[in-house]
Amino acid sequence: MIRWSSFRLDRVSLLLVLIAGLSVVYAAFVTIKPNRIAKGESKYLVELLDQPSTWVLLGCLVVWAVVHLLSTRVRWRLLSANVALWVLLISIGVIATTFATKPIVRVTPSSAFWLLFGVLSLSITDSWVRLKLKPWYRLVVLGFYLLVGGGVLWSGVLDDLAIMREFYAREAKFWQEALRHLQLTLGALSVALLIGLPLGVWSFQVPALRQIVLQTLSLVQTIPSIALFGLLMAPLGWLAAQSTGAQALGISGIGAAPALVALVIYNLLPIVANTVIGLEGVAPAVRDAAKGMGLTRAQRLWQVDIPLAFPVILTGVRIVLVQGIGLVTVAALIGGGGFGTFVFQGLGQTSTDLVLLGALPIVGLAWVAAVILDALAESLTVTEQAA
Amino acid sequence: MQRLALLTALTVLTASTFFNPVLAENKPVVVASKIDTEGALLGNMIVLTLEANGIKTQDKLSLGGTPIVRKALIGGEIDIYPEYTGNGAFMFEAEKDAPDWKDLQQGWNKVKKLDYDANKLVWLPAANANNTYALAVRSDVATPNHLKTMTDFGQWVTGGGNSKLIASQEFVNFAGGLPAFESTYSFKFKPEQMVIVSGGDTANTIKAAADQTNGVNTAMVYGTDGAIEPAGLVVMEDDKNTQVVYAPAPVVREEVLKTYPDMVKVLTPVFESLDAPTLRGLNARIQVEGELAKDVAASYLKDKGFIK
Repeated sequence: MIRWSSFRLDRVSLLLVLIAGLSVVYAAFVTIKPNRIAKGESKYLVELLDQPSTWVLLGCLVVWAVVHLLSTRVRWRLLSANVALWVLLISIGVIATTFATKPIVRVTPSSAFWLLFGVLSLSITDSWVRLKLKPWYRLVVLGFYLLVGGGVLWSGVLDDLAIMREFYAREAKFWQEALRHLQLTLGALSVALLIGLPLGVWSFQVPALRQIVLQTLSLVQTIPSIALFGLLMAPLGWLAAQSTGAQALGISGIGAAPALVALVIYNLLPIVANTVIGLEGVAPAVRDAAKGMGLTRAQRLWQVDIPLAFPVILTGVRIVLVQGIGLVTVAALIGGGGFGTFVFQGLGQTSTDLVLLGALPIVGLAWVAAVILDALAESLTVTEQAA
Repeated sequence: MQRLALLTALTVLTASTFFNPVLAENKPVVVASKIDTEGALLGNMIVLTLEANGIKTQDKLSLGGTPIVRKALIGGEIDIYPEYTGNGAFMFEAEKDAPDWKDLQQGWNKVKKLDYDANKLVWLPAANANNTYALAVRSDVATPNHLKTMTDFGQWVTGGGNSKLIASQEFVNFAGGLPAFESTYSFKFKPEQMVIVSGGDTANTIKAAADQTNGVNTAMVYGTDGAIEPAGLVVMEDDKNTQVVYAPAPVVREEVLKTYPDMVKVLTPVFESLDAPTLRGLNARIQVEGELAKDVAASYLKDKGFIK
């Protein structure tokens, strides 16, 4: 006899399975467009039953659903969700190859694909969270997913999807813009740290300064990014025109320089604010003890205050990095490059696939940065407590 | 301390990538363009033509929107980019109501003089194409109703023709836009006949008319948009010349032109060879078929014998 009461049917799994089921039946899986901008014809998964890959996919989804409804064993959940996710990716590629008969025809994933992708990713994330892995193992897991994801892309199975066609049409440019995107994000982060950390420490030590600095930075944060880029063009352009030294440093009113300066300005608030909060969080008793041990002011700052405040500062870095990866997109409008180039070109050509070629890597980068920095922050907090 | 060292290393690494020393002598011509499809096409034509004639260029194509590119040219950060004659009406506020803007040649003469006097910028000869506001109607509506010109269109709408327009806020409100069409061709859109969107992106208005979103069958377009024909739309000819003419022409800084006087000689025939149907066709290859702007520009220039 089956004892139903023994199954702990959790609401999250039920919801995920429900969404997956509804999207398979009521949402289109793939859109086939006769050219890049035409409306195209939507195909539901049930209309694709003549494709063997559809059956494999549906089979994997059923296994995934059954496991999630009937089992709480994390290992089985993880395995079934992973298999379903990779099969989903491969099957959309195989289906694209079937329909993309001419170079001008574009096959693009539709809502059911994205819903399934989202549901399976959530299910996988949920399982990993339940496993409560140590921070460093989480990075290994991340590396595994990046490796397998890269492998699927490299294998060529997705090459007939519209987004990959957009990619192959501008492969060299893609990597160039990817590098530029990272340079801008990391460059702005490093400069913001160089300015923000001392400013944060200083603001902590001088309470009168703290209010002014934090309020000014909060105010700056409300300026729309494109407006700030535009505002910086004039002074930087003037600077470049006045001195050849500034020109040699790559300073100019357009391109990377105004984008970098604007990003640094945006990045300052999280860095300064988190430095102040982190330092405020250091227990006065610890500081007194350090004083009692005869440490100098500088020693107390470097050996006590900063290490103890570091996890909080790192949270600021996480905010800056994830926010920065998104903000850099707008730099494309002032010649700063980055993935935004594809987003804005795509908008100008109503080519959703070109927009996605810019947007998906941005989302991916932000996600990877968040996972890495979360792991880093957690590992530091743990060591600090142990010590 | 290890963390600090790591941080410093990271800083130095990323900061060093921004040092790009530029040699003062033998400065290449910095070619830019707006970020739209036609900007990329014409910008690539300028780059390829100059390079084929031994003038070194630096590619800053698809730099940004009109204000950004214009500021960069005036500030001397770029040397040349394609601009539209009709935009002169906005660059020089005092002259914005001059009738000259509605004629290709007169508009070009006017902006050439104004821009040279004000900014020492030289307008090279323009293409014989007009990328101005126009109305385009679905062909399954235009053909049965015999709509070819704005006069036909005006009579059809006044007689109860079921037109539903999608257009930008700017076009609908700006006196020289829809109101000029309505008064010249004596028709009037009812509010429920219009879908108004923000931003002048005709890629979206064309798509809406092609897909009949919200019953739209008429779209605000620009005369040389590549997507018009593939989307099954027909442009209504502005037979009474109500609109400002937007003919694309290279605009170059005088200083650069003095260093490379040959630029006039090599760019003039290229732009004079372009007309509206040609530009529409080339834009369509980029937008509809997904070819790269650079490849389309190169194939056109080769076909016409401008480059080898």
